[in-house]
Amino acid sequence: MSDTLLFEIGIALTGIAVAGTVANRISLSVIPAYIAMGILIGPNEPSTIAGISLTLVDQREFIDVVAELGIVFLLFFLGVEFSISQLLNDRRRIAKIGSIDFLVNFSLGIGLGLAFGYSLLETFFLAGIVYISSSAVISKSLIESGWVANAESGPILGTLVFEDILIAVYLALLTAVAGGGGTVMDAAVAIGGAFVFLGGLTLIAWYGSSIVEQVFDTDSDELFLLRILGITTLIAGFALTLGLSEAVAAFFVGTAFSETDHIERIESVVTPTRDFFAAVFFFSIGLTTEITLLTDLIWLLLAAVLVTTVGKVISGSLSGRIYRLDRRRSMRVGVGLVPRGEFSLVIATLAASVGTGALGGEIPVFAVGYVLVMSVVGTLLIQNADRVFEGITTASRVARPD
Amino acid sequence: MTVYEAEVPGVGHKFELELGDEERLIVIIHHDGKREIYLRPGKNQDSEKLFSLTGKLARQLGSILEGAYFQPVEMDDIQVPLGEAIIEWTDVDPSAPLIGQSLQEATIRERTGVSIMAIQRGEETIANPQPDTTIKANDVLVSLGTRDEQQQFAELVDSGSDGT
Repeated sequence: MSDTLLFEIGIALTGIAVAGTVANRISLSVIPAYIAMGILIGPNEPSTIAGISLTLVDQREFIDVVAELGIVFLLFFLGVEFSISQLLNDRRRIAKIGSIDFLVNFSLGIGLGLAFGYSLLETFFLAGIVYISSSAVISKSLIESGWVANAESGPILGTLVFEDILIAVYLALLTAVAGGGGTVMDAAVAIGGAFVFLGGLTLIAWYGSSIVEQVFDTDSDELFLLRILGITTLIAGFALTLGLSEAVAAFFVGTAFSETDHIERIESVVTPTRDFFAAVFFFSIGLTTEITLLTDLIWLLLAAVLVTTVGKVISGSLSGRIYRLDRRRSMRVGVGLVPRGEFSLVIATLAASVGTGALGGEIPVFAVGYVLVMSVVGTLLIQNADRVFEGITTASRVARPD
Repeated sequence: MTVYEAEVPGVGHKFELELGDEERLIVIIHHDGKREIYLRPGKNQDSEKLFSLTGKLARQLGSILEGAYFQPVEMDDIQVPLGEAIIEWTDVDPSAPLIGQSLQEATIRERTGVSIMAIQRGEETIANPQPDTTIKANDVLVSLGTRDEQQQFAELVDSGSDGT
């Protein structure tokens, strides 16, 4: 097996590159393209075309490790780009719109989970998957549509900042509960431990800025990159051995950098490495997905797509109103928050690692199908937001002729 | 004119410059150094993208705008910081009574208050002229003094009403 290993990795990386190129051509997000490529050339169905085997990549170990690094560095960057100053400057409005966004969309997720007969823990995972918007897809779409220079970018990005904090707390909680022994006592101890650890990391991030500043001060980009990769992976890995969320640990390591002068350099030096890890992560999601299972989940998927799209449009429109935007722009805020992506998949990966009941099978498969649909639908909605707005206003006029 | 600055998480920084009325110029600086320039005609209108630049080009354009390559002289803005004093260039008329006198004999400072800093004579400039320098026809006298003093000096050169 080992003599074909390098060849398989080569096929995988080439496949990822091809998928990304195609996605760029048709100006869609690369995330669903990477997943689709993973599904296509992975060991699961579809595995043959006209009798020719499509199982080109079956080697999991290397890809698993890189995918794990993908999760770690996605969250690390979320921490690096997390703007404490922006949050504090605009805390009133961000707290308001973030709460609206959370209440509407998380509740819809809870409702979906319970309606489809999932257990409480499974429902909690499901709610997280449908609640969290995709920073990667949204910021790219904002730039491409030019909205980034308009008023609607304020509430959209404000909501994302709020979601970032929430996802850190949510992941810490879920990891503690899911990893716990199952009794209430175990869960309480696990949650307590998780928060002590996170509190410690927060303090280090808060007071250690000047030390971080010095430790990472080097003229060589190569050394800088290695130090960042080293310390982040080390702390994330250590957290994992303690049964805590490696993603959350990485997020806090990132926030330690967010107030230093290293941000620009991290963006220019570490981003390519992050992109590579993340691309392999999305691809590996596709590899492990038994896409044929989606046929049993089709109703859940349809219901989720419909309900959570409308949910984000409504909560976003309300948020736009809080920022005193007109109706067209408020609606854009809602549409702009529809894409779901990397964080839903991070939650799905956590579910798969717990592996009990629906968490091991149905939920991750649902998440993949859901992200495939929502990342594409969300991008298309943003590209055609004004037509959607015309449609809705016409419809509401027909419904209420005045 | 206010400049608004905001962070755009995951993208970079956004600056907005008020151009008057409701118009705003919007500059987005990406983390990778790319700059995008937008113009927003009004508060409720969409921004249109004007152009985008690499970091290097943006810095070049910036220096051109700053005037590092070519600086037009804006005449209204010339202010030599001399307090109340100003510098004037006065032509000596061929009929002026000062002609033939040395600066010492003309007692310009006692009579008007200005000091003669230089004399431009054709192509040459006599900087810091000595008291025994003679004033000739068609000289240009460069004098330093307050507005009132300069006024008196101009009359002295012009009319020759030396008051004696």
